[in-house]
Amino acid sequence: MKQNRKYLDPLFLSNLANMDLVARCAVEGFFSGLHPSPFHGFSVEYSDHREYHLGDELKFVDWKVFGRSDKLYIKQFQEETSTTVYILLDSSKSMSFGSSASVSKLDYASFLAAALSYLMLDQSDSASLILFAQTVIKRIPPRSKRTHLNTILAALQRNKPSGRTNLADVLHVIADTTKRRGLIVLISDLLDDEAGIYKGLAHLKFLKHDVIVFHTMDHQELNLDFEGLIQFEDLETKAKIRTYPQSLRQAYCRRVAEFLDDIKRTTGSTGIDYCLLDTSKPLDTALMAYLARRKRML
Amino acid sequence: MTFIQWIFLLGGLAVVGPVIAHLLAKPRYKRLPFTMLRFLHTSQAQSHSRRNLRDLLILLLRCAIIVLIAMLFARPMFLVRPELKETRYVHYLGLDNSMSMGYSDGSGSYFSKLVDSAVEYIRSADEQSVFNIFVSGSADWTWNLSKEQAIGAVRRLKIVTDTAHIGDFLSAFNKTARKEQLSGAAQLQGERSGSSRDVISISVISDFTPNTLDQFMGIVEPVTVDNIDYKAIVSSKAINNAAITNARVMGAAGGKLTVNVTVANYGQVRQNRWLTANTGTSKSTPVEINLSANQRRAYQVSIDVDMAGHEDMFVPVELSLSDGDGLEADDMYYLSVFVPERRKVNVILADNGKDEMFLLKTAMNALSRMNSYDAITIRQVLISDFARSEMSWADVIICSEITERLGEIAPQLKNFVKAGGTLVFFMTDKPSPGAVEELWSQNVLPALPKKCVRQRAYIQPKPYHSQSFSSDSRLAFQKTVNWAPDDIAAKSLTNYRIDRIVLTGYLECEPHPDSSCVWQLQNGIGFVYSRCFGNGAAILVNTSVDDSLGSLTKSSASTAFCRYLLGRSNQVCEYGFACNEQAMLPVWNIEGLFTGKKQFRVEGPDGRKRRAAVTESFLLIPASFGTGWIRTLTKPTMYAGINLPPGETDMTKPAPEKLAGVMNRIFLPDSHQSVITADATGSKEYKPFWKIFAWLIILLLLIDPVIANRMKR
Repeated sequence: MKQNRKYLDPLFLSNLANMDLVARCAVEGFFSGLHPSPFHGFSVEYSDHREYHLGDELKFVDWKVFGRSDKLYIKQFQEETSTTVYILLDSSKSMSFGSSASVSKLDYASFLAAALSYLMLDQSDSASLILFAQTVIKRIPPRSKRTHLNTILAALQRNKPSGRTNLADVLHVIADTTKRRGLIVLISDLLDDEAGIYKGLAHLKFLKHDVIVFHTMDHQELNLDFEGLIQFEDLETKAKIRTYPQSLRQAYCRRVAEFLDDIKRTTGSTGIDYCLLDTSKPLDTALMAYLARRKRML
Repeated sequence: MTFIQWIFLLGGLAVVGPVIAHLLAKPRYKRLPFTMLRFLHTSQAQSHSRRNLRDLLILLLRCAIIVLIAMLFARPMFLVRPELKETRYVHYLGLDNSMSMGYSDGSGSYFSKLVDSAVEYIRSADEQSVFNIFVSGSADWTWNLSKEQAIGAVRRLKIVTDTAHIGDFLSAFNKTARKEQLSGAAQLQGERSGSSRDVISISVISDFTPNTLDQFMGIVEPVTVDNIDYKAIVSSKAINNAAITNARVMGAAGGKLTVNVTVANYGQVRQNRWLTANTGTSKSTPVEINLSANQRRAYQVSIDVDMAGHEDMFVPVELSLSDGDGLEADDMYYLSVFVPERRKVNVILADNGKDEMFLLKTAMNALSRMNSYDAITIRQVLISDFARSEMSWADVIICSEITERLGEIAPQLKNFVKAGGTLVFFMTDKPSPGAVEELWSQNVLPALPKKCVRQRAYIQPKPYHSQSFSSDSRLAFQKTVNWAPDDIAAKSLTNYRIDRIVLTGYLECEPHPDSSCVWQLQNGIGFVYSRCFGNGAAILVNTSVDDSLGSLTKSSASTAFCRYLLGRSNQVCEYGFACNEQAMLPVWNIEGLFTGKKQFRVEGPDGRKRRAAVTESFLLIPASFGTGWIRTLTKPTMYAGINLPPGETDMTKPAPEKLAGVMNRIFLPDSHQSVITADATGSKEYKPFWKIFAWLIILLLLIDPVIANRMKR
């Protein structure tokens, strides 16, 4: 597992120039580290047999094979139910922040979007990518073809951070323009008016979408682990503050914790999955959260 | 507060530097793009004011450090007002009660004047004063006396017949005065309200005779005091004093003891006196003394001593001058004279007729002429004709070689030694083997001669008496024989350069187990072996008479060597010591008196009984005060005369300039004490204050980085 987690490490993935390779590495690295087939086999069409492992449900045991061979085998089935997944990727300027110890938030979010797309299309789901900042920048409509992955990955590779975040409006726009119910995956740093964000998410939830929020934050944004006199310059507003961060660290961390708690509490109360992602950590947390949600949907 | 080096205060202007640096300095910062600025805003104002406060504090700290360093270099002094009522006055009185203070010029003795001066000095002192009194004659200290106690102590003082011990006074004073000063300084640095301070004064009252003044001049380490006072007790009249300064025995012959006595006139008055010697049993005829001022002359006194048929004896000779000067104590002189038992020595020189013994015989005759022995009769015989009858006459037999004849009479020679004779063998390169064997078998030879070695060899310059081949032999020898050849006489050879005497050869010898090697050659071969048995001794000299002995007897050591062979002489000795000397009496002079004893009880001139230690050759008599006789408390009684040191009663008046020079050199004002100035309101004292400044600077230097780091957070 430890060896396989290398392929989920954002710093490792950032060294891979090809986004397709990034997606493949992330997903296959994720699966090879998991218990065999935790999410396989919830369909009706027979696919294959495999050996029984501890923890498998007994209802899938092929008793006929057991009668013939005295060995426990599990029947595997081809999944038939598919869904449409909308990946909303924040491409604002604030997403370009990345401390020296990790990749930028936008890169991390792109790796995650690529990996999720790969995973979705592999499971015959339809995947759509929406890039946004102040407004929707690019929208790739949902498709379930394998070749659609190339379109998504190309869009991710060309994507550059620009503009300020206007997440509330973007969410309302997407809610209004998305006809088919599906799974909405929001990957953003959520640095916008919190009340507006909540309203946008509530709008999506009202339209019966399943929503997962991947809150990408840099390690330094969470801890403000800087020393010495520093002039901070806002990436979006260009505002400046000169200070000794060590003297502010305690108050800052307290404020950030309050902010995160507020988001977590609000999303939890509205049935939205919330997942805080530290860009210095591997991608498996996000993939696990996605799969858990996907399983619950079916 | 005032500053000694105020110019350094200008260094305080250096504070301008940090101030300008503070005003001009721009903080160096790092630019960093960030996203969450809205969370930073809240604490920003607080951080900014904190940073300003920190910068201000650091600026003030650094300015303070610069100012303090400038003040430190300027040597700050604080004005304090010591409470004088709590000052303690400690007086050290050095009073001379030595013998010279007994001088009287008709208007009272020096000592009575000293007592009056001391009492007057004590009375004039502060009521709260403390007195420490040293009396230099008896070297006694009396400590921590009040005024009344000090007056009483001074009035009880008496003259002692001894010299002044100035060294004891100053060494003890220096130690205690230093302690007093330290304790006073410690109290001064303590609580100001309860402070007290010792003011140390020293006062020396003496006649400052040349002898006393010499002792003061011998002091190397000066003494620090607050006040110094000294007073010379001198007579306004011409000094009238004569003293016996020395006495030497010139000889004892014909029942008369002749003593040379040196008498000095220490004054300006002509002395017409009479000198008399007294032994207790007889008195000499008085000798007239005529000495002009400051004249010194030797006189001879003869006194009858009964020496006929007596054994060893000590004669105490008391020399005295008739009355007539201002100090009687130095008119006496005590001289102990040792008169040994009269002894005639008969010596046989046995040789082979070639007159080899000529040099030895000449040396012995010289000894006889020097009155070292009452009579030395020398008979020279041929070894081949050596008759047994000769042995009954002889006290010492000296053989030039070992021949067959000696082997034949070996039993008789053994009896001769047993009876108390001394048998001496010189060696040739070819001693008769038969005779050697016979003598060795009779235990007459102290060492067995073997192979002859023809090599040049020198005599070891120091005696080899420490080695005895049997531990009991020397002790037995000393018990039975009234002289110890391996002690005094053997050691006396070290006075001569015998190590320059070269031998052309020697015999390798095997020493007898009971013999001792008295002298050896530089290559380790024995030169003189001695063995005692019975009442006599056998001596083997590992050289031939005509060879090295020739050189030895021609050398200046011939007398000492002959005396070693012949035994103790009849030399008259005198024992008179100065009271500041270690008195010693040689132990070999008394037959059997010290055998086996390590200690001896003696009575000193002050009447006190003490233990005297017996060393290898001497009786060490412990120091005692006063002049007179030291005598042993067992028979036969030994005496040692104890006298004043020469010049002790030289009453020459001290030159005031010289006295002042000596006193000013020895007693110095305490330079370490603070400067005291007087003004109308009372005494003011400036105390150095630099330590506090130094500590403050160190403290601020420590605080600076703490503030710089802590206030960042």
